[in-house]
Amino acid sequence: MKQISWVGALAMALLGAAAPALAHHSLQSEYDINQSITLKGTVTKVDWVNPHVYVYLDVKDDKGSVTKWAVTTLPPGNLRRGGLTRDLLGYGETVSILAFRARDGANLAFLRTITFADGHKLEIWLGDASKENP
Amino acid sequence: MTAAISRLPAAIAIAALCASPALAQRGRGAGGDANTAAAAAKPTPRAPDGHPDLSGVWGGAAETVKAIDPGQSTRILFPVRTGPDDKRIFDEMDRAAKERQAAEPNKPPYKPELLGKVQLLSDKRQFNDPSFYCKPLGVPRIGPPNQIVQAPTLVVLLYQGRNTFRTVPTDDRAHNPDADWTWNGDSVGRWDGDTLVIDTTKLVDESWLGADGWFHSNKAHVVERLTRKGDALTWAATVEDPVVFTKTWEMTPRTLRLNPNPKVLLEEDPPCLEQDGPHIVTDDHH
Repeated sequence: MKQISWVGALAMALLGAAAPALAHHSLQSEYDINQSITLKGTVTKVDWVNPHVYVYLDVKDDKGSVTKWAVTTLPPGNLRRGGLTRDLLGYGETVSILAFRARDGANLAFLRTITFADGHKLEIWLGDASKENP
Repeated sequence: MTAAISRLPAAIAIAALCASPALAQRGRGAGGDANTAAAAAKPTPRAPDGHPDLSGVWGGAAETVKAIDPGQSTRILFPVRTGPDDKRIFDEMDRAAKERQAAEPNKPPYKPELLGKVQLLSDKRQFNDPSFYCKPLGVPRIGPPNQIVQAPTLVVLLYQGRNTFRTVPTDDRAHNPDADWTWNGDSVGRWDGDTLVIDTTKLVDESWLGADGWFHSNKAHVVERLTRKGDALTWAATVEDPVVFTKTWEMTPRTLRLNPNPKVLLEEDPPCLEQDGPHIVTDDHH
């Protein structure tokens, strides 16, 4: 796994960009962190938009029927400063996504980790960078 | 932070800090830190007409972000101070934001009979704040510009968030009496010594002055003052609103440093498409 160095994320942030992330809604009001879900399917669309990037997924069950899911994450500006571009979010690929379900029961969840077929992972999460999240 | 990153076993950690201009500027005050003082001590460039030249990209020290290689495992962390229980991280984000807001010493001077409305809007901000639903921040909530392009009779203010621009004439014209009410209003500029003073009226009453339910009327009158000292730019603003305020509100000034990269360009902000509103089921908020 190739190592990369720390990027100047803070400096970029100071430039001021994208939608005001923390000015947007509370995650607590929409997602239940006690309801984690693993979705395995094909990414059918990536919406690289403010205030949150969306990844759309077709999840096929054992009988072949398809359920459509939407998984959302940070604003595009945050992802870009982390070195991501929209083409790295798995469009057209089969992935496994760990996420937290919407409280209203919709097929909607807040992303934590995407695992790709080759085994590499993108974790996009919240936390204190001075310690590793559990 | 670097040490913390090196402890991560498999993934590379990249803390992608907040994109909010307001948050990014929080705590930097009106030029109190040493770097800002050093920037302000530099010579102030002047335009041919003798006024300070405000042109430049203001804020931070931008670096080009290299895209990660496809196939590379990566961790991007949005910084949130967490306790030992990761299950409380959503709660923690709200709690920390509320603490910051409660500690805000500079609140608008609302008439006493309107404080209940402010509180109500604040409590239900997830459904009421126009910026949540992709509407513009508007003047003055938008804050200082990310870039200024100064011409002899015109100053152009550029804001990266939602690809916003303002054109401010500095040719001594008066406000346009026929201007409609808009999110950024009708602005005219004039020089007061070395300070550019931007006077703005005709602001729609749909915009807020801040996320805490800070509404205003369509009689709001905003005066912004942009002062360049060396490579530091201070933005100060006052808001008069005889309908909702008991007195003029002086917003907390912000000082930005000139971006040290002379070739830096503002990036296009992706479109805004709000899709969360219908799924919000509680009044929890930041």
